[in-house]
Amino acid sequence: MNDIATTLKENTYKPVKITITLPTHAYFMSGIRDFTLSLIKNTTEFSEQWAYRFQSVVDELANNAIEHGSQPGEEIKITFIYNPNESIEIQVEDSGTGKDARKAEEIKKIVDQYIQQSVPMANIRGRGLAKIVHEWTDELEFIDKPEGGLKVKVVKYLTHVETEELKKSFVYSEDKTHILI
Amino acid sequence: MATPASITIEDVESTTQGVVVKLVKFSGQLDESNVDEKAQQIYQLIESNPTNLNLIFDFEELEYMNSKSIGYLTDWYGKVYENGGKIVIAKTRPNILDILQVVGLTQLIKTYPTIDEAKFAITH
Repeated sequence: MNDIATTLKENTYKPVKITITLPTHAYFMSGIRDFTLSLIKNTTEFSEQWAYRFQSVVDELANNAIEHGSQPGEEIKITFIYNPNESIEIQVEDSGTGKDARKAEEIKKIVDQYIQQSVPMANIRGRGLAKIVHEWTDELEFIDKPEGGLKVKVVKYLTHVETEELKKSFVYSEDKTHILI
Repeated sequence: MATPASITIEDVESTTQGVVVKLVKFSGQLDESNVDEKAQQIYQLIESNPTNLNLIFDFEELEYMNSKSIGYLTDWYGKVYENGGKIVIAKTRPNILDILQVVGLTQLIKTYPTIDEAKFAITH
């Protein structure tokens, strides 16, 4: 992994695209989480905290694709697109054959309803997309694939992370006479 | 096939009559492959101690938790709280604390850096 990481980092301006296809079984997600963590930590400018956050984002999106979007025995596809010094994009695609597979518009409506809840949720489900994925990405898009199935695309911009960190340092600075940068 | 994870439960001496205190140690990764099965251990613990159950969740060895495991945590809290008990969390790793914060769970369940602080908080 380290040699690959070095090569990818040296390729400063070229986008890096990695696609993984895996069977619809939650057991394989442990390996995908490890891969995500290593990929973000070793080949991008995102911090370790963000590497852990993307690990959760990928896990939540893939679990939804496995549980709702695809029948057992089929496959889901996860794609990472890293634009150096700019952004990381993650796409997760299901086959649309799952017992409660939904169209993009329906999913968006459900997620928007969860997002608008201001009090902590009391139910067991619903936090994956509406809290974890929504809060930790800048763009969240649901797309109906022409061949059937759903593609969920998320993007996080490095500049937004830097801005957020800067805002935090303003908030946490107790010395009102100095600006902490 | 499931990701390795375990939950072990230990008795903690209670200073208040009628109050049961347990230390619940989580380890490994709680994910979609194992969380439904592992959650049953806590539901059984709650059923066996229907009132005044105080739980200290030790998350030192917990490496990962997904949204469903956070959902269970909320459900356990509701069941314990409505029957006069409490749940606190101790020794959380930064990535776990981050996820608990983003879903708003730290507004509901208090987290402490050490077991001793969690014990003190739950018994006072």
